[in-house]
Amino acid sequence: MDLSGDRLQTLPLSLVVADLHEAASGVVSLILRDVRGVVLPEWAPGAHIEILLPNGIVRQYSLCGDTGDAEQWRISVLNVPEGRGGSKFIHEKLAKGDILQASEPRNNFLLEPAEDYLFIAGGIGITPLLPMIRRVADEGRRWTLLYGGRERRSMAYLDEIELIAGGDVFIRPQDQYGILDLKAVLHEHTPRRLVYCCGPGALIDAVEEQCAHWPKGTLHRERFTPRTRETILEDGEFEVELARSGRRIRIASDQSLLSALEDAGCKITNSCRAGICGTCLVDVLGGVPDHLDDVLTDEQRESGKVMLPCVSRSKTPILILDL
Amino acid sequence: MIDKAVDTRKVRGGKGLAGIEAEVDEILDSVQTITCEATTSFFDAYSKNPNPAVLASWLETRCWREIDYVFLLNEQIRRYGMGFQRNHITLLAKQSFQEAEHYEAVGKAVESLGGIVPTSVPKAAVAWSTFLWECMDRHHLAAIAAWYVSETSASGSFAPTFEGCARHGYNDVIKIYKQIEIDEKFHTGLGRQVLSTYAETDEDREEILRAMRGMREIAWKSFTPEVVAATMRAA
Repeated sequence: MDLSGDRLQTLPLSLVVADLHEAASGVVSLILRDVRGVVLPEWAPGAHIEILLPNGIVRQYSLCGDTGDAEQWRISVLNVPEGRGGSKFIHEKLAKGDILQASEPRNNFLLEPAEDYLFIAGGIGITPLLPMIRRVADEGRRWTLLYGGRERRSMAYLDEIELIAGGDVFIRPQDQYGILDLKAVLHEHTPRRLVYCCGPGALIDAVEEQCAHWPKGTLHRERFTPRTRETILEDGEFEVELARSGRRIRIASDQSLLSALEDAGCKITNSCRAGICGTCLVDVLGGVPDHLDDVLTDEQRESGKVMLPCVSRSKTPILILDL
Repeated sequence: MIDKAVDTRKVRGGKGLAGIEAEVDEILDSVQTITCEATTSFFDAYSKNPNPAVLASWLETRCWREIDYVFLLNEQIRRYGMGFQRNHITLLAKQSFQEAEHYEAVGKAVESLGGIVPTSVPKAAVAWSTFLWECMDRHHLAAIAAWYVSETSASGSFAPTFEGCARHGYNDVIKIYKQIEIDEKFHTGLGRQVLSTYAETDEDREEILRAMRGMREIAWKSFTPEVVAATMRAA
């Protein structure tokens, strides 16, 4: 695979697979260390890394190990047989000792301070929540976990969750309890409580519906929507429609959106090309940007109306830009 | 309606500036204001007696700053870069490259106005340059804190520079400073991110504030209407 300088710039870490084992049925857990044995960058609960697999596929995975362990990171990957190769490769081909290029940790799912937390996990959506739960428990704050999955044996880290003190834990495998009873935990807004949810799109949609009229900033979620993610993130490609001409451009997985737009003849002011200066800001008319910059405010990000194409990408197959 | 303004002071980094952010921002605000006022004062005075040699002299000091940043940033990387994340080394080097481009571009403007591109520290830039290099020797974040103030001060000069140059038809100078204005956003964002990422101790924060306060003092002394008048007399 021919990687452009831009792509390698965003994946500066060389990590070795130090261990690889089954965390649950269909879920493999990877322990990653720096190939040179140096300490890894710091990260906070909710962070994810982008990984370039040896077969050229770039995927994002939540860090789910110990934030205090600078020697190694842990990620967990659900096997998605109908996917286009990312999880399949990890489950079938990746081996201990393999080297992966990875990004620095990024965090679009920050744990905000609160007195009380409700965590709602669906399947592999437990991964970004696990470090959050540990942090909240360590700080002695109140927490509740509602964790659903297809069946108990497919639910990762049940043993670790059992050891975390202080919270109310509700493990709800679907084959025993049916779908998660969200109304029971979300029937009314609880002041000073934040809700963190991660899992399949249907779960997020249902949680959003329950919390629709709650104060802004109460619900924090990160989507694990297999259908969308497989389309977009297995190979990292997406399309951009230039609204003023109707022209469509395909953005390759190893190409920055800004570079692709420039190659297409769009003149866009820019300077850092690293998501810091904000000078390349463009208006988004459709689709959902995947914000990877360092400077847009949460409000700007959440609006989905603007993005920095130098580093950011797309969560949807098509982005429509005001260009 | 979403506010599309991007504020590089809010760039994501660490929490290293927690507890001193109010003073940091107050220094940045005040230095921007004084630079804006002084630049306005310069062009107001210039309009009364337009002389390209005077503008060339005014630009020479700024031209030197660009190349001094190149020296400084490379020394920053050489001395302290291995303590930084690799992406920050790349970005500091990128800033250095842009500063070199600015030196070349402002140099052309100086020459087009009949001036001489400085190859050593101009008298008007001695205090500024000396302070920056002292900061470099003191602490791994001090020089960055000082140039963060200096770069922010420059952002206060853009609007009156564009207005003043437009008044006299110096379109090439405007074009050069339009590009510099874009790049300053990167430089100030990077400065903030580096400081907030690597400041860890109270001593680090005190060194950052010392450097920022010191650079503000120099800006105040450098950009008064009296200094501007002296510059014009010298030219």
